[in-house]
Amino acid sequence: MGSSRSRFSAYSLVRQGVSGRPWPRMWRRHELESSYDAVVVGGGLHGLATAYYLAAEQGWSRIAVLERSYLGGGGSGRNTAIIRSNYLTPDGVRFYDHSLRLYADLSAALNFNVMFSQRGHLTLAHTDASLRTMRWRAEVNKIEGVDSEVIGPDRVKELAPSLDTSDRVRYPILGALYHPPGGIVRHDAAVWGYARAADAHGVHLHQETEVVGIETSGGRVTGVRTNRGLISTPVVANCTAGWATTIADMVDLPMPIQTFPLQAAVTEPVRPFLHTVVVSGSLHVYVSQTDRGELVFGASVDPFASYSTRGSLEFVEGLATHVLELMPSLDRLRLLRQWAGLCDMTPDFAPIIGRTPVEGFFVDVGWGTYGFKAGPAAGQALAECIAGRKVPALIEAFALERFETGKLVGEKGAAAVGH
Amino acid sequence: MSEPMPMPMSMRLPAQPGEVIDREERFSFSWNGRSYPAYSGDTIASALAANGVRIFSRSFKYHRPRGLLTASHLDPGCTIQVGEEPNVRGAHRLASPGLDVRSQNTWPSLRYDVKSVNRLAGRFLSAGFYYKTFIKPRRLWPAYEKVLQRFVHGGVIPDRPEEHDAEARFYDKRYAHPDVLVAGGGPAGMAAACAAAEAGARVLLVEEEHRPGGHLRWGDAADLTLLAELRERVSAAGVEVMCDAVVLGRYDDNWVAVVERSPAGPAFERLVKARAETLVVAAGQIERPYVFAGNDLPGVMLSTAVRRLVNLYAVRPGERAVVLTANGSGDAAAADLSRVGVDVAAVVDARHGEDVVRADGRGGVRWVELGDGRRVDCDLLVTATGWTATTALLNMAGNRPVYRPEAARFVPDLDTLPDTVVATGGVVGDGTREALCEHGTAVGEEAARRAAGAAEQSGEVPSRAWPGVKGAEGARAPSAPHPKRPDAEGLTPEPHPELIHGRTHGFVDLCEDVTSKDLLSAVEEGYDSAELAKRYTTATMGPTQGKLEILNVVGILAEATGRTIQEVGTTTWRPPYAPVTLGALAGRRLEPVRHSPMQRWHEEHGAVPLVAGAWIRPDHYGDPGAEAANVRENVGIIDVTPIGKLDLQGPDVAKLLNLLYVNKWSKLEVGRVRYGVMCAEDGVVLDDGVTGRLGEDHYLMSTTSSGAAAVWEWVELWLQTEHPDWRVHVTPVTTAYASINVAGPKSRELMERVTTGVDLSPDAFPYMRVRRGSIAGVDDCVIWRIGFTGELSYEIHVPSAYGLHVWASLLAHGEDLGVAPFGIEAQRILRLEKGHLIVGQDTDGITQGYSADLDWAIKLDKPDFVGRPELAWQRQRGDHPRLVGLLPLDADTVPPEGCQLVEGAEIVGRITSSRRSPTLGRAICLGQVAAHLAEPGTEVTVRLPDGRLTGARVAEQLASVDPEGARLRV
Repeated sequence: MGSSRSRFSAYSLVRQGVSGRPWPRMWRRHELESSYDAVVVGGGLHGLATAYYLAAEQGWSRIAVLERSYLGGGGSGRNTAIIRSNYLTPDGVRFYDHSLRLYADLSAALNFNVMFSQRGHLTLAHTDASLRTMRWRAEVNKIEGVDSEVIGPDRVKELAPSLDTSDRVRYPILGALYHPPGGIVRHDAAVWGYARAADAHGVHLHQETEVVGIETSGGRVTGVRTNRGLISTPVVANCTAGWATTIADMVDLPMPIQTFPLQAAVTEPVRPFLHTVVVSGSLHVYVSQTDRGELVFGASVDPFASYSTRGSLEFVEGLATHVLELMPSLDRLRLLRQWAGLCDMTPDFAPIIGRTPVEGFFVDVGWGTYGFKAGPAAGQALAECIAGRKVPALIEAFALERFETGKLVGEKGAAAVGH
Repeated sequence: MSEPMPMPMSMRLPAQPGEVIDREERFSFSWNGRSYPAYSGDTIASALAANGVRIFSRSFKYHRPRGLLTASHLDPGCTIQVGEEPNVRGAHRLASPGLDVRSQNTWPSLRYDVKSVNRLAGRFLSAGFYYKTFIKPRRLWPAYEKVLQRFVHGGVIPDRPEEHDAEARFYDKRYAHPDVLVAGGGPAGMAAACAAAEAGARVLLVEEEHRPGGHLRWGDAADLTLLAELRERVSAAGVEVMCDAVVLGRYDDNWVAVVERSPAGPAFERLVKARAETLVVAAGQIERPYVFAGNDLPGVMLSTAVRRLVNLYAVRPGERAVVLTANGSGDAAAADLSRVGVDVAAVVDARHGEDVVRADGRGGVRWVELGDGRRVDCDLLVTATGWTATTALLNMAGNRPVYRPEAARFVPDLDTLPDTVVATGGVVGDGTREALCEHGTAVGEEAARRAAGAAEQSGEVPSRAWPGVKGAEGARAPSAPHPKRPDAEGLTPEPHPELIHGRTHGFVDLCEDVTSKDLLSAVEEGYDSAELAKRYTTATMGPTQGKLEILNVVGILAEATGRTIQEVGTTTWRPPYAPVTLGALAGRRLEPVRHSPMQRWHEEHGAVPLVAGAWIRPDHYGDPGAEAANVRENVGIIDVTPIGKLDLQGPDVAKLLNLLYVNKWSKLEVGRVRYGVMCAEDGVVLDDGVTGRLGEDHYLMSTTSSGAAAVWEWVELWLQTEHPDWRVHVTPVTTAYASINVAGPKSRELMERVTTGVDLSPDAFPYMRVRRGSIAGVDDCVIWRIGFTGELSYEIHVPSAYGLHVWASLLAHGEDLGVAPFGIEAQRILRLEKGHLIVGQDTDGITQGYSADLDWAIKLDKPDFVGRPELAWQRQRGDHPRLVGLLPLDADTVPPEGCQLVEGAEIVGRITSSRRSPTLGRAICLGQVAAHLAEPGTEVTVRLPDGRLTGARVAEQLASVDPEGARLRV
């Protein structure tokens, strides 16, 4: 952190409360400069993390983050804030485990409480087929050193008593994949924490700044055109979701990505009763209770590609049906708000991160429904990739060229609803 | 610590002209364990207020005492627990005999709440304080988190699914098809509903309160007269009225969701889904609180709250009042109070620059300080500082409201609305009751006209609604929609002073305990857009979702950022407009189940059920090992009805099969069947199954059970989008047939006893042939000679109505042959012995054809088929994982499916299928292995779930039993 900035702590909270002096700004506003060493497109979790690590760990300066709306207004503010690393492929497990570890230390690293609540993550199995996939995941996780185990209905009941584990329901709970390190993070806090820390390292955060074009010359990036003027830069990082293909089109780079809405909803608060994250792939639903007492629900992506962020009635009807199938006594809990975010889906449900054939144009896109979990690790690895000569091992498997070499990642196997 | 016993109904007034209580019907209910009297028609809050209760809840963060503010559904101060139901709106829910009502999250009591010490710490608990502390040490955060969770502001949800009585918690759904749906039953909405119905439209009027009428209900004598007339007209016109119901959302094409909170009948709530030809939004206005110090004290009320309490419930809101007024509603509240004998100590007229600076008192208002420095003792402070137009539904229809500074509110930009959505009443503008009715009438007539136009255009049968329900003579002929919007004229927003906050800081969002100071701090810290400030402070994120406080939030943010209110903009209203129970959204929770016609037999014979997607089918009947052995020795029958079946007819079926399957189909003769594999464009195995040629242009395709729907869609996708010229008719017939596999060395003998019209001898009906004939007297059965189990077997497809009959006949005729049913588990054992793969188990989301040991089936010499380029590429690379048979070196160790194969720390494959083979008396497996391990004889290392390592040898082929297929071909 820059020394000019006061640190947050219990002491600072008391001191500020007594003195009544205003808190320093989280981040500053700057004039748009005519050139930067690197321009990050997208002021969400991934873009801010990339800029932060580029400045903090790679020692770069003169970095700009361009956000067409407000910080964290896209997927970063619309996801359901679940963190886990119990993926199916070794590449996925390693990557998300690293991300989870970064999250665990993030509050201290950024001096901003992102409220990581490591409360455990349960993926329910209602069929022997899903039980089989869970055993597969558990075995891969164990080999990669990640804590996951398949547990039976009795243990499920201990962890989440509100679940109906009887066999009188339509989809009985046969067991679950239990992943103790999983949990939830306050998603906005992660965005603001990175933004504040990036700002402290001299990164310029430009909100309400839309990218309208990218200039290239001889296969290299030379600049970015925005609604506020032209920036010359040798490095552009596309850290967007929903608009990943739009930005890539600006350098004539087709991306194997389709964009689908993913809907979510939240209830009114009730007293804490659900202390783990509960996911049911068969019933297309995931649930967690925030520290505010609200239940946050998500599901699988909408069945058709679209850029719409409006919620549908069918979604909340189906969601409520499935939640009550799992927890029948929640019938009088009221749904407060529904919304949608955009997910960029790749053919193998794994991201595309790293270099591209256009020199200086980097991508950190195609995260599908996993973007929030990946933010810290993706930012750190992309920063390393931008600064270094070598692609970090952590993201080698997620390179764009895998769609030419055929080395797909295969996270699709566990992705029915993998939150 | 107990509250003093209030005088029974000490605050109840004598009869009021518009009161909605029935003084003849008196009962009692319980509030925090003590009994209180109430009248029928009372809300829980009005009954308690009539008994002198002033505090209903404690606030979220500071645990400040809260009383009534709006005395309506929106009241942030009266959220209570009723029995097992949390977060009930006490100012809306009607009291009823014996209710058990409690305050939420208070300890030890509502009056003396321990957590109210937070008030003293308020200066340290600024918005977002939790982001700034509890950072180190990391291990203490879970403890802090538990403390934070103690402050969760909500009721208690029962957490005992075992005790959940689904019968008693019944929710329902209904579909409605109104020509005109009117959202809001105030004077304009009622007038619009009448006009539309009188024009012949079928009208549904939805009103959130318990009776229609809007503000007329708490109005003067003339208001009440008009109200009576309108109610009469509504009833006479045949309008369907839903009260205590609210429109939750307007989705595409006027798909409108309504929740009835107290429907007639047994349902607790009912979701009504209506496709309205025209939606009339008459949602009115919401009165806005005023921001100043002490604005959340019990005794600070909106003018509409006072008018409701006095006129509807005959409750005296206080003894001595100060009224801050900027409009007619405040003036009327002052007049109401005077009329019923409340001492109105001061009327503070904001239209003349007068102001209230602060209110103060312990547990409720005791005095207020006025702008001129006067201090006035009182127990009631009434504010009337402006309105918010209820534009949420219009917003959901695409409208962006525009701020009108002279009226101090956002109003809809009507020109941006679709023709099928019109607005009337307070949401559009202000007017006298006559003007509101007149506007409503014009809009209602036009709404009916538009609905008729739409009906005409869509070719709907005119007699459905036209001429109208009242008789043909009353109906007007439909005509083209008015080119001009009917709602644009007649009502304009009246001038109103822009009153958002006074000289002192106060609460902006009372649900979330967010103050104006919090908002200013947020902006200073850099959260300087409306969205960031809202997210950081949580203003407008609570149960009212900004309906009360949005303009105050926007106004304060505008000031703090130096922007205009229009620039800061109002919130994006998302559905639901009002919180709605999960029960209502779910409805009856009808989860479909598919059973074969033989299910009852299975249940009666001890079948253990297996949930397989939509199907429930027998896993086994007690001893799957014995069932499998019986198939190898004698004959078994299995119910395979869920197998997907598509009837394909037409001259181009062979082309279709050649396109979708990786193998060749053009030379399949009539009477033959063939195994086929489908891959997707990426070469990944999609499905497999057997397809038979029943006639020249007639095929029957089978798919996996789980893939039935997906394959049907897949087939239609290719036919409709790529080859619409091909003449193929596709009919899904999965459930038209009951399917039974008769398997085992004695299956021919058994079949011969029940089959007529088919020569079953090996020469006449060899392996991989199809015949049609009669089984157990049932004609038109399809018989395939195939062998998933590896035995001589016949798969028979019987018209489903006769499924049970044929099943029973097979059992009856085969008793001496040892016939017995077998379930899925036995079938899995048998097919594993035979080395037949299961798509989705032995393959996964990226398993391409050559990784599934399908080299023999993939015909790259075909000119084209789906997945061909990818498969060609896969073969050329040759470095792909492969599906192999694996024999554990320790014959008694059956590694669970999902176990990984390892080389050191590296994962090099996995066990996909694994069982103990009853035939061989040893463990057998299938597995995916890396290319370099695929050679038969290679030894691989299997990591067991407990971490132990064990070895396995790659087998010569997938089959462990009868790899040559001799048993199939007998």
